[in-house]
Amino acid sequence: MTPILSQFSYIIAIVVFLSAVGFHLSRKNINLVFLYILQSSAIAVLLFIPAIQEMDFLLLLAAVLTLAIKAVFAPYFFLRLIRRHELTFTSNAYLSLPLTLITLALLAGLAYSHVFKSFVDLSGGNMHAVSLAIAAIFVSIFLSINRRGALSQIIGVLSLENTIVALTLFLGVVDSSGLDIGVSFDIGVWVVIAVLFLSMIYKQFGSLDVSTMKKLKEE
Amino acid sequence: MTLAFIWTIQIILVLGLSPLLIGIIKKIKARLQSRQGINLLQPYRDLWKLLHKDEVISTDASWIFKFSPYLIFGLTIFLAINLPVFARLNFPYVGDFLLVAYVLALGTFFLALAGLDIGSAFGGFGSSREMTLASLAEGGLIFSFLVLAIAAKSTNIYAIAGFVSQASVFYLLPIILAAISFVMCLLAENSRYPFDNPSTHLELTMVHEAMILEYSGKRLALIEWAAYNKLFIFAALAAGLFLPFGLSFGAGIFGMLIYLAIFSLKILFIGVLVAVLESTLAKFRFFRLPDLLFTAFILNILAIVLIISL
Amino acid sequence: MDFSFAQILFFSSLITLFLGAIVSLCLGKNAKLARLVGSSFAIAGSALGLIAGSYFLISGEILQINLPLSLPGFNLAFNIDRLAAFFIILAALISLLASVYALGYLKHYKNNYNLGALGFFYNIFIASLFLVPAADNILLFLVVWELMSIASYFLVIFEKDKEENIKAGFIYFLMTHAGTAFILISFLLLSKYTGAINFSLMSATAGQIPPLAAMTILLASLIGFGMKAGIIPLHIWLPEAHPAAPSHVSALMSGVMIKMGVYMMFRIFTDIFPVTPLWFGIVVLIIGAISSLLGVLYALAEHDIKRLLAYHSIENIGIILLGLGSGMIFITLGHNGLAAVALTASLFHVINHGIFKALLFLGAGSVISVTHTRNMEEYGGLIKKMPQTALFFLIGSMAISALPPFNGFFSEWLCFQSLFSGANLGGSLGLTFLLSAGFLAFTSALAAACFVKAFGVSFLARTRSHEAEHAKEAGPAMLSGMGILALLTLVFGVFAGSISGLLAKTSLGLSSLAGSELESVFNFNNLQTPQNFSAVSAPAVFSGLLLAIGVVAAVIYFITRKNKVTANRTWDCGHDIRQGMEITATGFARSIIVIFRGLLKPTKQTSIEYHDDEMRYFPKRQSIDVGRDDVYQHFFYIPLKRVSYWLSEMAKKIQNGNVNLYILYIFATLIILLLITVR
Repeated sequence: MTPILSQFSYIIAIVVFLSAVGFHLSRKNINLVFLYILQSSAIAVLLFIPAIQEMDFLLLLAAVLTLAIKAVFAPYFFLRLIRRHELTFTSNAYLSLPLTLITLALLAGLAYSHVFKSFVDLSGGNMHAVSLAIAAIFVSIFLSINRRGALSQIIGVLSLENTIVALTLFLGVVDSSGLDIGVSFDIGVWVVIAVLFLSMIYKQFGSLDVSTMKKLKEE
Repeated sequence: MTLAFIWTIQIILVLGLSPLLIGIIKKIKARLQSRQGINLLQPYRDLWKLLHKDEVISTDASWIFKFSPYLIFGLTIFLAINLPVFARLNFPYVGDFLLVAYVLALGTFFLALAGLDIGSAFGGFGSSREMTLASLAEGGLIFSFLVLAIAAKSTNIYAIAGFVSQASVFYLLPIILAAISFVMCLLAENSRYPFDNPSTHLELTMVHEAMILEYSGKRLALIEWAAYNKLFIFAALAAGLFLPFGLSFGAGIFGMLIYLAIFSLKILFIGVLVAVLESTLAKFRFFRLPDLLFTAFILNILAIVLIISL
Repeated sequence: MDFSFAQILFFSSLITLFLGAIVSLCLGKNAKLARLVGSSFAIAGSALGLIAGSYFLISGEILQINLPLSLPGFNLAFNIDRLAAFFIILAALISLLASVYALGYLKHYKNNYNLGALGFFYNIFIASLFLVPAADNILLFLVVWELMSIASYFLVIFEKDKEENIKAGFIYFLMTHAGTAFILISFLLLSKYTGAINFSLMSATAGQIPPLAAMTILLASLIGFGMKAGIIPLHIWLPEAHPAAPSHVSALMSGVMIKMGVYMMFRIFTDIFPVTPLWFGIVVLIIGAISSLLGVLYALAEHDIKRLLAYHSIENIGIILLGLGSGMIFITLGHNGLAAVALTASLFHVINHGIFKALLFLGAGSVISVTHTRNMEEYGGLIKKMPQTALFFLIGSMAISALPPFNGFFSEWLCFQSLFSGANLGGSLGLTFLLSAGFLAFTSALAAACFVKAFGVSFLARTRSHEAEHAKEAGPAMLSGMGILALLTLVFGVFAGSISGLLAKTSLGLSSLAGSELESVFNFNNLQTPQNFSAVSAPAVFSGLLLAIGVVAAVIYFITRKNKVTANRTWDCGHDIRQGMEITATGFARSIIVIFRGLLKPTKQTSIEYHDDEMRYFPKRQSIDVGRDDVYQHFFYIPLKRVSYWLSEMAKKIQNGNVNLYILYIFATLIILLLITVR
């Protein structure tokens, strides 16, 4: 990609990374959803660029669909869930805030270390964006590990998907637009099912905190 | 000769404009709370009034209570010399950021001692809370400078300012992280929300105000003015280190005037930022503050990790 | 002055001290004469040692004497190079001022204790502090080291009427000899593999020591000398022994004796071994970081003023080891210029800490001698009763909190710079340096908080007890001892550049840095690090601060000279202000302790006594006990004790008292030896 584009992709990578870190720092579920919207919009912008450059209708469709499902549809479902069950605050994390941040710093260090050096060298001009995307992948995985609430874990998985898409785009791996469309549909259906499932869990157990779900069978 | 001239201008700037900055911040906060707010020049009038009032000094106070205001105010003047207002001036002997951080610590040390000196219950717990917060904030402060110093390969503030103005976009993330952390430390060190309420006298919520509760007259004027100066100095550091625009004008009088205008705009921006942050955040419970300060510190560590790997 | 004259001065200082020891022992029960004589001989001996040491440090000439004795492996070998001269200066300076102080301080002991014995052990202690850096031969070193330990042991248990002093002395004695065992292992291996019995000859062949032996030597020296220096977790004797000794002895122990452990670490790690393995340098760095942070956190939890100062010694040893560790890592990686800066930082902090810690201990001693308690909660308001002591203690507090323009700031500045240059190296090593720099930043900030507490609660506000109410200022001897130390903190601060230059020459004299260049600039005006990463000017800082404050004071005085100042009671919302309204030391530090509760494990026990035990509505008496769990006893020393008991029980079975069995042992050993050795 041209140098201008590499700086631009770095800025997008910053947005993706910072939203991933922001998930760890938020205490309210609404902030989680807004950060997810921000992250998805950034990914959508990244998809729009080659679409507009090459004027490919299918790519454009893929980008619009991604935007629609990830930035509009999914958050709508989450907000509905939050409002119905009044889940304003996220549940706790296993590690306290400073320790969480230290772990994030170490994961970022890992992404930038020699372990991934050879991988990053493949990318050519986009080195910084690729390393940052790898760091964002680790941060998203850690979100699912660290948080007790089911909603946070779902957001973690969705963020993981976003960051993997970002990584593939930065690496310049050509993915077909059909793949993107298919993935977006998958996400849409997944979100609906997940939200329904969360509703049922909440009705049964009274909270979304996974450590309270000890008895899964009806007594 | 030009060195002394520039230092004089910087001192006059800091001393002269800091009450105005406070006035602007208070006005913005008031407007955000749907109040009229004070006149922008009111802090000047308050200082004038206090300087002309008689003082009452406690019988329990010692020379530390009497001497601290002079020392704290003098330190802000010393720090005014270290500001990167005119960044092309490279004076190697002062301007080291560790020196800045520790001179601030010296001021806090004596302020805390003055709070203990009078032996009231307020001063005691004020000093305790202030030293707790200051000891945790100092790590974040030093390290937010360090992020830029490692990137710029120098700890001289002028050199750092010069570097940031020409840095490539790949330094953007570390600089953003360092800026976030610096803003947190700015709020902590200047007793702003969410760390402290600068206009309360309730026992539950005061930190800085508790230590200076017993001061009156000219000494109170000095301490208040020193607090204004400290905020201005932090704002100037943030403006110079993180918003290094407009540094490439000529050296003549005209260039200097343009410098000053851009500098004032940057300070104004930071003032507005502080006012908005104060209005949107509530004061945190005391034991939630260390988490915030550790966050600031670790964001800096993250930023440095990113820079070293660049 | 020339070389031979300096040589004569050095030995005459030793002779003076030995003479002083014997004379004061003879004077025994005559308290006044023993006090004067013991201290005067100590003053004279220290002064001579100071002059001699300064000559050797500034001129750079090396004193080498080797007098063989008929005993194998043991000769009277002395070697004073720049490093040894520096430590001799440290010892001489602090003992000079502590002895001046003792002239007045020992008056408080005249009734109960034998001041002659104190003078005897005190002079021997100082002499051993001079001999330890100078000793070259291994066995001579061990003899002098043991002399130092035993003399200090007797000084620690000097006030034998108090039970806890004896217990403290016992722990101290035990641990110092455990350390000596490790030192012995290290020395035996060193002399075996290098074939030399004098330290100055070992560096030539040290490069050929096989790696396993080198590792054992390095670790054993670290443990052995670290025990003397007081690194965590080998530190538990320090907060017991230093408070128990008389205050001027505590000053010497904290300011000088623990540095002798650091001296030998310098000698072995950077002089004898040309290069230490990278992991070892990192271990030293990490130990330094942990000791500094934990030391200051434990100090915050204390309200016994001498225990607080003892924990701060642990913290500062941590800072010294940070400098030493970074230096060692830089030497291993070949960055000799950076290593010189790091070692200079470490040495500068050695002497700075000696000065301000001695000042603080002497100040604490003055306060304790008038109030007869070490508990800070019973002081208060002493600034009005003892103004000069308060001023000197304040200067010491500012120096130890690394506030400009005093000396502590400049040595910590240098230490920070060496850690920052390490962080620039990148990779996981860079991250280690970075985290250590973070530890250092938190440590110095917490130290400032601790000294606000210590100075504020002890000297400010109103008096909290009857003794504090009737405290009197210390005598002229005590004041001059403290005053000169306070002046020295300022002088060492302003002249930080020149002193660092001298110390840089010292570190370049170590054999691992032989032939390197100092890539930075250290002169009077400027302390500058390699590649001009940072620079600070000590005299500029001092004059700038003085000027700024002076101008402000003058201007404001002029503007407001017509205002009146009236005195009145402190405002406390209209209540009568009472003694108990001030904050206590425990209360002051409680917030920080709660924040760090993961490390400090605070405990709180409440007990309530009711008027009516069944109804339990009206409390008669309530007490709350806040304390701290001792982690080291729990996880480290008690299991160690259990294991050694178990081993001793096993070993006991050999000795069952039967004479026949003992003869069998001898006979069997003889036969086995014959079988093995004769072929």
